[in-house]
Amino acid sequence: MSVPGRTEPTDLIVQARTGDADAWGDLYREFAPAIFRFCRRAMPTHEDAEDATMEIFMKLRGKLEQYDPTRSFTAWLYKIAANHCWDMLRRRKGRQAKETDDVDNVPLEHPDPNQLERLIEERSNEEVRKALGRLGARARMALVMRYYSDMSYDEIADALGVRRAFVGVVLLRARHELRQVLGENSALAVGGTR
Amino acid sequence: MTPGKHLDEMTLLLYVERQLDRERAQEVSLHTQTCTRCLTLLRALDRESRLLTRAMLEQEEPLPTRLAEFRGAVKRSMQWIWGLVFGLAVLGVYTLYAGYIEPWEQQLEQAGFGSTNLLSLLVFQGAFWKGWQSMFTLFEVLALAVLAGSAAFAFRKYIRRGSALAMVFASLGLLLAITPAASATEFRKGETVTVPKDENIKGDLFMTGNHLRMDGTVDGDVFAFGQQLDVGGHVTGDVICFAQATRISGQVDGNIRAFANNITISGTVERNVLSMNEVVNLDSNGKIGHSLTLFAQSVTLDGKIGRDFVGFFNQANLSGLIGGSLQARGQSLAISSGAEIDGKASFEGDKPAMVSNEAKLASPLEFTKHEHHTDHERGVGYYIWRLIWTAAFVLLGLVLYGLFPRFAVETVQAGEQYGAAFGLGTLVTFGLPIAAIIACVTIVGLLLGFSTLFLYVFMLLCTGIVVGTIVGQWILGRTTEFWPLAGRMALGVLLVRIVTAIPFIGFWAALAVVLWGVGAISLAVYRRLQPVVAPNIPSVPITPLSSPLPPNTTVGGM
Repeated sequence: MSVPGRTEPTDLIVQARTGDADAWGDLYREFAPAIFRFCRRAMPTHEDAEDATMEIFMKLRGKLEQYDPTRSFTAWLYKIAANHCWDMLRRRKGRQAKETDDVDNVPLEHPDPNQLERLIEERSNEEVRKALGRLGARARMALVMRYYSDMSYDEIADALGVRRAFVGVVLLRARHELRQVLGENSALAVGGTR
Repeated sequence: MTPGKHLDEMTLLLYVERQLDRERAQEVSLHTQTCTRCLTLLRALDRESRLLTRAMLEQEEPLPTRLAEFRGAVKRSMQWIWGLVFGLAVLGVYTLYAGYIEPWEQQLEQAGFGSTNLLSLLVFQGAFWKGWQSMFTLFEVLALAVLAGSAAFAFRKYIRRGSALAMVFASLGLLLAITPAASATEFRKGETVTVPKDENIKGDLFMTGNHLRMDGTVDGDVFAFGQQLDVGGHVTGDVICFAQATRISGQVDGNIRAFANNITISGTVERNVLSMNEVVNLDSNGKIGHSLTLFAQSVTLDGKIGRDFVGFFNQANLSGLIGGSLQARGQSLAISSGAEIDGKASFEGDKPAMVSNEAKLASPLEFTKHEHHTDHERGVGYYIWRLIWTAAFVLLGLVLYGLFPRFAVETVQAGEQYGAAFGLGTLVTFGLPIAAIIACVTIVGLLLGFSTLFLYVFMLLCTGIVVGTIVGQWILGRTTEFWPLAGRMALGVLLVRIVTAIPFIGFWAALAVVLWGVGAISLAVYRRLQPVVAPNIPSVPITPLSSPLPPNTTVGGM
């Protein structure tokens, strides 16, 4: 999950590990916007996202010693962020259990390809973000992990605590849920034949 | 794969996501070359992936101010700030004493008014402290420490943790090496330790053993730890002793601080005596030049006290001379015929003092009946008023949360950093009023001083609200919305008021609430005052998924 065209902040990490406050500050400044955006997509409210971002960086500070420099720092950081956000969401147990049940019991309909194309064509980025905010926690989390931070199926399975083979199902259900929400705002119906 | 039958969406998604094995991926690729419907769906899924990535990566809002603040550095530099605040507080105390209290005290003494309150006796007359001369040395050391900290902070980039530690220890070692050279200290240990009459010790003397006897001369302080201590010689400094039985029959030019089972003074103490003993005897030959402060079970005072006597005891018998005032609190006090008190005399106890008609008192003894406060005596009115006050606090909290919702949330979040809040709270609670008083005393800063004091009192009032909200969030979970937060605050304030009303532990709980709350507010204010980093901070460029399809394959052969 390394970022092409961008070198890892190896020096900053080494300096931050020795307790250099400036290096830590630079590291924070460099990654805070991306992590906040990640949290903003994953968490239900703006305040939750702010809290989560702060807590992730506080956690990062404690865990920096554990970072393996041979691996991608960005990927490692997103993994921490994903685990933290999912933990926060899971703690809201009642709501979570209901959502999971709902999602798992809904049969998936085969979409009409043309209608799906039109729906994608007509939706703006902002509408998609708003629709994301209305999804269930697991669906939203899965989409953010996959399409924002480019996490692998293994990493998603690990973070969500599901079998790897189930990740595709989670993502597909999440897409259906998203289409449902996007479709509610227009006359387009995405469902179709089976 | 059966020709003519469409692929399911899951297979197509896994193909788009490059999650199929090579053989299966080739099957899908072949199928989509001939099936328009599946090809259209495959393209749609791919476009959907791109739309999701694009929508999520778009930077539609800047980093919030709270996050843009340089939190990492703030957290790290807080230790430095605490050191600075502590240093300033210490400097404030010294300035307050040296600049204002000491001159006032001297003026009052010249005007014939001796120190009459416990605080001044304990703190400013040197009965408890070794003396302000010694304190000045402490200030110098603190100043040096602050200076060293500044240097270490300034050059932190050039020194690693190990070398910094080495530097600190080396400096301490140097200080310790220099200090003994200035004054030699004699250590004596044994079953019986004796300093004979003709022996003269230059410097301090440490004595430990069962029987300790000092008949010679010590040109310094005497520190004694033993079962029995007799000081029959001459001590030019102070005597600090922890002994079962202590007898002072010689001369002490400084102060005596005694923690013993019983102490008898038949000699002369030029300055003050602070005593925490079961039995205290000041013989008829005994003389204390300045004041006597004691906490004891039984007290007999036949000798002479040059200035004031402050005592907390069970029972006391007074037949000697007190040159200053008498302030006593205990069960019983008897003032017999030979007694003389030249200043104001007051006694708070269970029953009035027995005063002989032949005793010479400058003014009639003031007696205050000691009131025992128990839960039963609190009555219904107490609880009604407490309830009204609780409601008032909740109302105040609602108003404040309504006026400053964001700051309220920040304060509560700051309070959840327990260590930092308590640490800073302790410093601010004790440091801020000192700073305010200093500002008040200097005429130029009168307005600033009073404003600070007013804000300080207001901050103290708000501590219950802050801590109450945190407690409420413990119970009902965290929130940042107004009414749920207000509900948690109301519940928490109620609980805090209940806990602080419990006898004995209530006081400590209230103190903890004050320290915690003051710390939370201070921390939130501190963060608000931090410079805000501009929101156009460079973000981490994350490239969208550029090629979702397996390499060397085409969608439907196109």
